[in-house]
Amino acid sequence: MNDPKEALYHVHGVDVPETPVAPPTDQEPWGETRVVGKPLPRVDGYERVSGTAVYPADLSLPRMLYGAILRCPHPHAVVTSVDSSEAEQMAGVQAVITGFTPDDRATRQHSELIRNNLFNTRCRYEGEAVAAVAAENPYLAQDALRAIKVEYDVLPFVADERRALEPDAPQVHEAGNQVSDTQTYERGDVEQGFREANVVLEQEYRCECEIHTPMEPHGCVASWDGESLTIWESTQGVYNVQTQVAAALGIPLSRVRVVGHYMGGGFGAKLQAGKYTFLAALLAKQTARPVKLTLTREETYLAVGNRPPSNMRLKAGVKNDGTLTALEFSGTGTGGAARAGGTSLLDWLIRELYVCPNVRTETTDIYINAGPARPFRAPGHPQCAWALEQMMDALAVAVDMDPVQLRIKNVPTVSQARNGIPYTTTGFHQCLEEGARAFAWEQTRNEISREGRDSHVRRGVGVAGGAWAAGGGGPPSTAIVKIYSDGSINLNMGASDIGTGTKTVMAMVVAEELDVAPDVVQIEHADTGTTQYATGSGGSKTVPTESPAVRAAAIDAKEQLIELAASEMEVDASAITLSDGKVIADGDTPRELNISALRSLRRRGNVTGIGYRGPNPSGKAVTPFAAQFCEVEVNIRTGEVNVVRFLGAHDSGRVMNLLTYRNQVFGGITMGIGYGMTEQRVLDVDQTGKMVNKNWHDYKLPTALDVPADMTCIPIDLHDTEANTTGAKGIGEPATIPTAPAVANAVYHATGVRVTSTPIDPTKLIQALTEAREGE
Amino acid sequence: MAKKRREHDEEATARTGLTRRGFLSHVGAGAVSVAVVKPATAAPAPPPQAMAAAELSKVSLDINGRERQVLVEPRWTLSHVLREELGLTGTKVGCERGECGACTVLIDGVPRYACLTLAVEVEGAAIVTVEGLMNGEALGPTQQAFLEEDAFQCGYCTSGQIMAVEGLVQGNPNPSLEEVRHGVSGNLCRCGAYAHIFAAARKAAELRRGTGGES
Amino acid sequence: MLPQFDYVRAQSLEEAQRQLSVEDARICAGGSDLLGCLRDEVFNCSKVVSISSLSQLRGVVRSRDGGIRIGALTPIAEVAADPTVQETYPGLSQAASEVASPQLRNQGTMGGNICQKPRCWYYRGEFHCLRKGGTTCYAMAGENQYHCILGGYRCYIVHPSDTAPALLALGATVHIAGPGGSRTVPLEDFHVTPRTDAQRETVLESNEVVTELTLPQPAAGLRSSYRKVKARGSWDFALAGVALALAFDGDRVTGGRVVLSGAAPVPWRSREAENAISGRRIDTTTAREAAEAAMEGAAALKRNGYKIPLFKGLIQEQLLAIASA
Repeated sequence: MNDPKEALYHVHGVDVPETPVAPPTDQEPWGETRVVGKPLPRVDGYERVSGTAVYPADLSLPRMLYGAILRCPHPHAVVTSVDSSEAEQMAGVQAVITGFTPDDRATRQHSELIRNNLFNTRCRYEGEAVAAVAAENPYLAQDALRAIKVEYDVLPFVADERRALEPDAPQVHEAGNQVSDTQTYERGDVEQGFREANVVLEQEYRCECEIHTPMEPHGCVASWDGESLTIWESTQGVYNVQTQVAAALGIPLSRVRVVGHYMGGGFGAKLQAGKYTFLAALLAKQTARPVKLTLTREETYLAVGNRPPSNMRLKAGVKNDGTLTALEFSGTGTGGAARAGGTSLLDWLIRELYVCPNVRTETTDIYINAGPARPFRAPGHPQCAWALEQMMDALAVAVDMDPVQLRIKNVPTVSQARNGIPYTTTGFHQCLEEGARAFAWEQTRNEISREGRDSHVRRGVGVAGGAWAAGGGGPPSTAIVKIYSDGSINLNMGASDIGTGTKTVMAMVVAEELDVAPDVVQIEHADTGTTQYATGSGGSKTVPTESPAVRAAAIDAKEQLIELAASEMEVDASAITLSDGKVIADGDTPRELNISALRSLRRRGNVTGIGYRGPNPSGKAVTPFAAQFCEVEVNIRTGEVNVVRFLGAHDSGRVMNLLTYRNQVFGGITMGIGYGMTEQRVLDVDQTGKMVNKNWHDYKLPTALDVPADMTCIPIDLHDTEANTTGAKGIGEPATIPTAPAVANAVYHATGVRVTSTPIDPTKLIQALTEAREGE
Repeated sequence: MAKKRREHDEEATARTGLTRRGFLSHVGAGAVSVAVVKPATAAPAPPPQAMAAAELSKVSLDINGRERQVLVEPRWTLSHVLREELGLTGTKVGCERGECGACTVLIDGVPRYACLTLAVEVEGAAIVTVEGLMNGEALGPTQQAFLEEDAFQCGYCTSGQIMAVEGLVQGNPNPSLEEVRHGVSGNLCRCGAYAHIFAAARKAAELRRGTGGES
Repeated sequence: MLPQFDYVRAQSLEEAQRQLSVEDARICAGGSDLLGCLRDEVFNCSKVVSISSLSQLRGVVRSRDGGIRIGALTPIAEVAADPTVQETYPGLSQAASEVASPQLRNQGTMGGNICQKPRCWYYRGEFHCLRKGGTTCYAMAGENQYHCILGGYRCYIVHPSDTAPALLALGATVHIAGPGGSRTVPLEDFHVTPRTDAQRETVLESNEVVTELTLPQPAAGLRSSYRKVKARGSWDFALAGVALALAFDGDRVTGGRVVLSGAAPVPWRSREAENAISGRRIDTTTAREAAEAAMEGAAALKRNGYKIPLFKGLIQEQLLAIASA
């Protein structure tokens, strides 16, 4: 786990191919930029606000059928029979496939797959696929599901990882409920560290399971043309889907085209194909018609990922001057019924975020009968921050230091979790300091302490920090920039724009290099049939991965164009510059020519620049940092918490587009508010093991009234010249890491009560407040 | 035919007597406040329609100012008909249970969830979808405001957010921040673009008022 | 995706009643709750009987006795925004504003709001619970964090309505049209506790239709309010709610009602709290006594113990607020 990217975004079964080694580059880092960094609206904003953007769920093809999946209603059961005869006879139902599809009709190549993989007769979680249908409209598909009769042997289940290692717990898998050996990490001498401490605190923390629930449910449209398959998928990574579909169906990669132009959110849950993707392809094959298969909202709660719940114990030692002496951490978690990273990076921030010579961690991943986890916006990190950042707050109180100062005291300059290699840049200190200044941290704390505690509505402020293990990006990536003979420009890249503004940022990179307006740049992207290879858009690595490749391609195209122009205008290439669609030859009498007037370019048709993502600097860590501050009002009669304002100070390298950057920060804070205050999966652990809140009413996402209108974004823009050739680091994930503990710390500041398990809602807080009052 | 049915309606309601005795007589008798019984738009709906479960029946829907004849089953929701039957996929579906707001459309001027509305129930009502805010290829003011303020990320909830804001600013030309926050509180945004949506709603109101300035 | 059903849009109350006499026919006003229940297959539905065309059932008017009449089909949003309601019955206006989301307030009707089906996640989910004709209330031993602390008996739902507690506090009457003619029921007697019948929520027969709600002229010195505590900022049902309608003579409470939402299977009138403040001036002491009294009979399940201190805090807050209003 020393390379966190491996642990995180490596999707099982998908090898990351090599791309050509990037040629040595003499690209200078940008200084002042003309386009990059500006708060520009998106290049595809029109499509998104006009309703004309076509998401996979919107796609309609001639003769298209609608697919639907029957899912196991029990957390643990064996399917003993499936009777689909009635469904098959229903008008409008064109195909039914199950694990019991008779051999005489399952003559296709896919029958083995269905039997062994798709429809596993042992269902280890509620929501496991049991059968699938295709019908003329979605209502008929649902009717067909209702008509399928399945018999189950219902087995004992375990739905709470805290009980799953007990000796008599039902076994999810034959080898037991512990996924693998407990993972350990150690540096220094923890016992010695605790002896050196003036204060040692120990506390347990819990984070509930969070579900991604992107607004567009998972889904796709699958269509065959002979032996070639095209899939329009709501995905973060078209190449991941292509690889998995080709492997699952046993067909060549060249015959699987995956298109993912628009998609309605993923947050890590759409980095891979789903069984639904394979099923749509199989149903389409069987019926020789296109099939659209969009999951229901309920299915997205059960079967396509979550952030694992975490149980953590943290012991920390600190000297009176605020120096950390030791951290000891143990955590358990569960990726559900699959090996799905139940404790991925759960201890990363303990190892990494603050200077501490003596650290010991252990993490244990456990199976339960529940839906498999998937990567979710900074896997492991919000959980770990929930523990570590509340502990830092408690340590600050214990040694009577300002919580900001305690953190500043322990800001690291090297990556301790990576054996002490230096960071390319670390703005953590500035995040804390400049964030506190912009927030009026000290003044607000002074004000609050002067106010006293007479009112039943109490104010409090909180801070928390964070870092993200994998925000530097890296190879492979290839991009192509074409300049056509009329001066118009095309950018071709494989990356998906999952809503973060990737297309816009890349258009700005091209515009910066070629001195044009971003909207001149036409973009082809996220299509395995027509665009270049890219890894999935996840891990906050898309901009730092793709933008250097795009920049290199733009520079390559520019150099070629300048060569052409130089020979045509009979000057030295060094005398030529580009400006706003013109070629300008410097000289005694400067000459300019529209690009469209270049005869040699017209003959050639276009110049094609190719760019590759070069390697990351060796021996250096590229890491985004963050500090967030918030103010709350707590009604101590009811336990209601009103978040009044939030500030995010982030070091994510160069700000590529201030508008989308801000949007990411506010979006991360919003999601963090949900994590810390409203969201949790509820399983009926004592009775049926079923999820009782698999909808957006009972599983509560934050609404417009749960987020403060007063949000501030303070970019700590350090111009990282080593990280990559654009100096960008990731922002999406860091933006959600410190949020929940910042709220918890503010609630503590307001009330003197610590809530150590998520979410902090009135049900928890009123109880904690009551217990505290009774204790007094 | 329509006229005849309407007469029939009058008869039917007269028979119950409730209308007149229950409300109108009080208004007529110099009631203190004026009844807010909905006027014109609720013109007597078409006739007792009986539709059998599995059959398709013709309904006429007023969508974005155009009458559309569609064959529907009774159970088909407005969102299904808009998207899958009429190809108006600007209206999105996120939950099909009135819990996300992606399918928000205006029905007789007020925002409602198309996923919780049977198509057959909105015959005679004026339905406006995000496509209906366009002026040819030009964005309407609310759409323009969302674009300028970057009031979205993935864009999937955006049509619904836009329609909620459109409904708000049509009824309230100058909403306060609090009114905006309440106005969009029936629309989830998982990407968390709320802060920018608040700004867009204020700007939308401005653009509609024609001032167009920076806020 | 909804299952199949026949559909009829009634043009008269009589026709609606006739159509509703078919087995498993369901009335549809705004439809927001009905469609949710059908989608979740909470109950069977052979036919949807729409009454949305009965526009005579829509609107708020002042009645001759000085009260108001609210047509059953009046959208909740119209009640929230009605100037008369805002001025004369602020508690009702506040309650109507707290319902669900703006879109649902535009769609949902007042009649529908008081006739809502419970939001218990077992009832709405794939659980054959007692209320659906099964033998077990899954909430008793299960995930009961949002369930009742008062009035539970074999079934532990809470009543989901916000407007019903406010209406009950204000002394509303429900007007019902049925095959045998019209009848009126005080709202206080309209909802059914599980002790009486765990499979129904109201006294309404399947072929009866709520036509209107009436509120009496407010007593002299009447103040009303509604507040609910939710797990998120909007679009949520009450963890705890309090509707107050109290008459004051100077600073002394002369009468009125205290009604709790999120507490019990029906809107829960707390006579204990009313008695504790009746004839007295509300100060921190009386407010605390009333809050304690209201929770005297409360019994927590395994995971909803927080409701007791929450209600105590909320009742105190609201009593002190209304006294100083």
